Formats: sequence, structure tokens, C-alpha cells
Amino acid sequence: MKYQSQAVAKPYFIAAIGLFIGQIVFGVILGLQYVVGDFLFPEIPFNVARMVHTNLLIVWLLFGFMGAAYYLVPEESETELHSPGLAILMFWIFLVAGALTVLGYLMVPYATLAEMTGNELLPTMGREFLEQPTITKLGIVVVALAFLFNIGMTILKGRKTVVSLVLLIGLVGLAVFFLFSFYNPDNLVKDKYYWWWVVHLWVEGVWELILGSILAFVLIKTTGVDREVIEKWLYVIIAMTLITGIIGTGHHYYWIGAPEYWQWWGSIFSAMEPIPFFMMTVFAFNMVNRRRRNHPNQAAVLWALGTAVMAFLGAGVWGFMHTLSPINYYTHGTQITAAHGHMAFYGAYVMIVITMISYAMPMLRGRDAANSGKSQVIEMWSFWLMTVSMVFITLFLTAAGVLQTYIQRYTDDPQPFMVVQEKIEIFYWMREVAGVVFLIGLVVYATSFFIGGKEPEEA
Amino acid sequence: MNKTRLADQPYLIRPCTIVYILLITLTILSWLIGKSGISGLHVAMLVLLFALLKGLLIGDYFMGLRSVRGLWRWPIIVWLFVPGSLITWAFFITA
Amino acid sequence: MNASKEYPPGDLAMWIFILAELLVFALFFAAYAFSRANNVELFNTFQQTLDTDSALINTLALITSSYFVMRAVADIRQNRQVECIRWLLAALSMGAVFLIVKSGEYVHHYSAGINLRTNTFYMFYLSLTFFHFMHVLLGMVILSAITVKTWLGDYSATEHTGVETGASYWHMVDIVWLILFPLVYIMK
Repeated sequence: MKYQSQAVAKPYFIAAIGLFIGQIVFGVILGLQYVVGDFLFPEIPFNVARMVHTNLLIVWLLFGFMGAAYYLVPEESETELHSPGLAILMFWIFLVAGALTVLGYLMVPYATLAEMTGNELLPTMGREFLEQPTITKLGIVVVALAFLFNIGMTILKGRKTVVSLVLLIGLVGLAVFFLFSFYNPDNLVKDKYYWWWVVHLWVEGVWELILGSILAFVLIKTTGVDREVIEKWLYVIIAMTLITGIIGTGHHYYWIGAPEYWQWWGSIFSAMEPIPFFMMTVFAFNMVNRRRRNHPNQAAVLWALGTAVMAFLGAGVWGFMHTLSPINYYTHGTQITAAHGHMAFYGAYVMIVITMISYAMPMLRGRDAANSGKSQVIEMWSFWLMTVSMVFITLFLTAAGVLQTYIQRYTDDPQPFMVVQEKIEIFYWMREVAGVVFLIGLVVYATSFFIGGKEPEEA
Repeated sequence: MNKTRLADQPYLIRPCTIVYILLITLTILSWLIGKSGISGLHVAMLVLLFALLKGLLIGDYFMGLRSVRGLWRWPIIVWLFVPGSLITWAFFITA
Repeated sequence: MNASKEYPPGDLAMWIFILAELLVFALFFAAYAFSRANNVELFNTFQQTLDTDSALINTLALITSSYFVMRAVADIRQNRQVECIRWLLAALSMGAVFLIVKSGEYVHHYSAGINLRTNTFYMFYLSLTFFHFMHVLLGMVILSAITVKTWLGDYSATEHTGVETGASYWHMVDIVWLILFPLVYIMK
């Protein structure tokens, strides 16, 4: 670890893993509630478990991004972080605010939470993924601004690299687009139109810049390939991301009451959204092939390559499957959506955060470059357990979704929703088994931090 | 460095100027066809052919791809051929 | 200086960008053609309302500007900075002709109450040409940047990758229009 202040990344990473475990526990609960409808009812109804599952995902990924930035920016800028104290303060504020929010979801009825937190003063609650009370959202803005200030000042006073600049643009974009969560029009069409300015422009926009820059950083460090080569690839990748993703927002505007031309624009541009992910895959494998050395942290390299592949499959391929408007007409809101959503989020964002943690944590804990062989083996087991089980989750949900689309919508004699749900129940059971394996993989991952600590570092 | 580029060779009229005149000619021809109002699959295909020819000329001479060996010679040609075929097909099925 | 002619002139990253842009337009053209196949009457009828004469001027302007850009590249390869700048300025003025004529067409449509929602033909016509218009604009920004840099003495016979790069982009803009013009304005 080259700079002392990089150490602030450690609490962020620990919180990220902790919240990730919470997220998956609730995921397993949800999966069971799909097939045993009153499991944990009325203490934790389905909609509450869902809020906890999705909100925890976003929050732990944000902790991960912030930790990643706090680790890589000082190293890229070749200077200490502007204010480590501010970073730690923001850590605790974000953690406490997040914990209180989740407790709020669990302990009181949502309407009561709205009342308690003064939602009527500036109503922002009640929308998917943006269920947080307004005061929590305001807290997120404050934390984000402080974070951007800290990172920005560090980059300003030090060396400006393509990696840190792309990361900064991505993070600024993340903050700016989050502001749209405060815009809550009465008109339902406009409500949905602008909701996607947070969600789509995050995950199919600025978050891809964050993903690309972190991947580039890890590849520079672990392969030793010339920085210029990697930076050029990064530029092309993010250019493709923005060209395809911005107007590609239109693939969410097909059926909400927006003008018909969105069916054309959305289809044409979003059809190309897999391209940057394909490029990332070629890029990652190319760099590793051209490597100038064998970095001792082979686990991190595995995670990096895995991220590129799974992001391409989950976000790129599965996304493409339902992005064209004539197809989406039938598949909209079915289990196809869930299949894509899970593999995309896991492949792109969960995995890039884990890649960064895998790379940085050994050094944050005092190692020179990597964990012991024993620890890495356990970590690589967790990679395969989580990744393969996620592939199965996706395949099962895809099967469920295809059947659902056909029987409920496409066939000449469409069946009612619940009739169809009964028919595809078998796939929900299989998904749940895969989900439990995923949780096991995650537990194995967590244990890798506690094993092999006394063994010598892998050479 | 023993192969001088097209633009460096001493000509009375440069090759790219000849290409330019060709491009203008094909364009005016297409415009005249449009003006005359003749419709029909064969006419449409002729106009498309002119367009693809113009594209090839731009690619080969203006973009300088004529003297490129290997993979990069082909993307523009493929780009003209594939959409060109799709467009042809789309016009065929309605004729 | 790349003596091996494995790569096209200019920066390779720009060529990847060019291919991406070409892909978008190709998809749009195909979408137009197949949409037309389902609406032949509609497309043929409203195609008549387009101003083919303006389109001719635009096509000639773009081909000419591409030719001027080619001459500019030829000159900088021979270290003739002043001539290079002259050709680039001439190319820019042809580009400006395109923008002005096209804007004139748009003003005419707008005052006739035509917009993206009028019908499928107009949706495609307006989208395609507007999208192309934006690329002409970007191309002119790039050419302007190259012109300034040439004037500042940044380019020479031995180092002019920037000029070739910008030229390649401009040729792409031209080649796209060469398909767009007959497809949308002429082919029935």
C-alpha cells in the first residue's frame, strides 16, 4: 500500500461485504416466499423483504465504489487523500443512515415510516428502488458531495490519469442522476420517464464508467501492460457506452405512454448496448494474455476476467434478448426481466466491487501484494460457487419467463397470471436451491478473509 | 517506404480528382432519375447501386483504404454490402 | 510513421469509433427499409413532399468537402501547411452549406406542422437526417480543431496523424449521406 490514507478504504469494504450478506439472506427469504407465500408473514411481508433486498444491494455497491475510489485515487494521483478524516466521518454517517433506513422498513409499516420522516414536506417515497425516506436521500446527497469533494481535491493536487478522470466522471454522473430521485411528477408518464434517469442512466450509463475504470486499474496493476494501451481501450469502451446507453434509455419508454418513435430509437440504440461489454471482455483477456508478469494475486485476476465475461452475458446478452420492442411487447415485466436483472447486476457491479476488494484487501491488511495460497484457493472456490449458482438462477428464471410469456401473453388462449405462476412454480423451487448455493458461496468468500492469515504470501 | 502514396505521385489530373468527377456524375444521374419520377424495382436498384459505388470510391480513394492490406480493408466494404443487401431485400419483398 | 499498410490512415481508436457510428446508421437504414416494406403507400406518398433539389445541393456539397479534405491531407503530407489550411477552410465552408440548406428544409417542415409524431415516414426522415446533421456538426468541430492546430504549426510531413484522423471521420459522415440521400429521397 503506497499511501497511508488508502487505509480508509478498508471499513468501506468491510461494510460492503457485511451488507452484501444481509442482501442475500433477504434474497433467500424472498425466493422462499415465492413458493411458500406466507413465509414470515406478517412480520416480514414480501414487499418489505424486497425493499430490503434491493436497497441493501444499492447501498453495499455504493460502499464498494467509494472504497474503490478511496483506494485507487491516491495511488493514481500519487498523493495522499485530501481528508481521510472526512472519509471516515462519511462512512459512519452513511452506515448509520443506511442501517436506520433498513430498520425502518422492517420495524414499521411503510406509511408510518413516511409519516415519521416527514415525507409530505418533499414527497420522494414510494417508487421502486427509491423507497428511502426523503431524509435518507438527502443524507445520501450530502455523503456523495463530501465524497466527490474529497476525491476531486485529491485528483486536483496530484497526477491526473485517464483512469482517475473516467472514474470521477462516472461518480459525478452517479451523484447528478441521483438528484432525479427528488423529482416526483404527478403525471404518471413523466414519473416513469424520469425514474429511468436515475436507474437506467446509472446502471447502463455512468456506472459503466466506474466499472471500466476500476477494471482498467486492476488490469494495469496485475498485468503490467503499458498504461497507454489500457487507457486507449478505456476511452473507446466508455465512448461506446455513452453512445449506445444515453438514447438507449428509450428501451424503457416503449409502453409508458411516451411517443411511438421511442420504440424505434430505443430498439436501435439499446441493441448496441452489448458492444461495450463485448469490448471489455476482449480487452480484459487481451491484457492478461499480453501480461509482462504473473501477479501473485491470481484470485483478483480471476475475478477481473470473470467480471468481464459475466457482465457481457448478463447485461449484454440477456439484455439484448428482451430489448427490441416487438419482443419486449410480450416479455415486459416477466421473469425474463428478473433473469436479466440478477445476472447483469451480479456480473457487472457485484463482481467489479469484489474484484477491487480482492485486489486491495490483502495490502490493506498488511500484505505486500496478495494473500496466501490457501486463502486464494478458498476465494477462488467462492468465485465458482457464486458465479455458477448465479448462472443457474438466471437459467431457471429464463425458463420460467419464457413459459410465462408464452402462456400468459403469446398463445392464442392466454391464461391468467396466477394460473401461469402455478405452472412455473417448479422453476422457482430450483431457483431457490441455486440461491442457497449462492449464499453458501458468499459465506465461503467471507471465510477466505479469516483463513490462511498466518501462511506466507503467495509469490 | 518504396511505395509512394497515390497523392504524392505526379499526375496531370490527380486520381482523386477523377474520382471526384465520377462521384458528382453518379449523384446528378441519381437526382435526375428521382426528378423524372420513374418508379419500379429496377430503377430503385440502379440508384442503390450508384450509391454503393460511390461509397466504394470514397472508401478506396478518399479514405485511402485501397492501399491497406489485411483486415482493415474490409469493414467499409462489408458495411456497404450488408445493409445494401438488407435494403435490396426490403425493396424486393414489396415489389 | 506506419510504413506497414496494415492499418488505415489516422488513429486506430477513431476507426473503431467510425465503425460504431456506421453500425448505428446501418441499423437505422435497415429499420427504414423494412418499415417501408410494411408501409409502401405511406412512404411513397410522403417521399414526394421532400425537397430533392436541396438534397442534391447537400450531396454535392458533402462530396466536394470530402474532396477538399483529401487535398488537405495530400498537402500536409508534403509539408505544405498553408495550402492544407486553405483546403480545410474550403471543406468547412462546404460543410456550412450543408448545414444551412438542411436547416432550411427543417424550417420548411416545421412551419408545415410536421414533426416526429406526424407519421412513420416523417419519423424516420427526421430522425435519420437529424442524427446525420449532428454528425456533420461534430465533423466540422473536428475539422476546425485540425485547422487551428495546423495553423499553430502542430502538423508536418512527418507528423500529421491528427489530420488523417479527422479526415477519416469526415469521410464517414460523407459516406453515410451517400446512402441516406438515395434511400430516403429517391428510391421508390
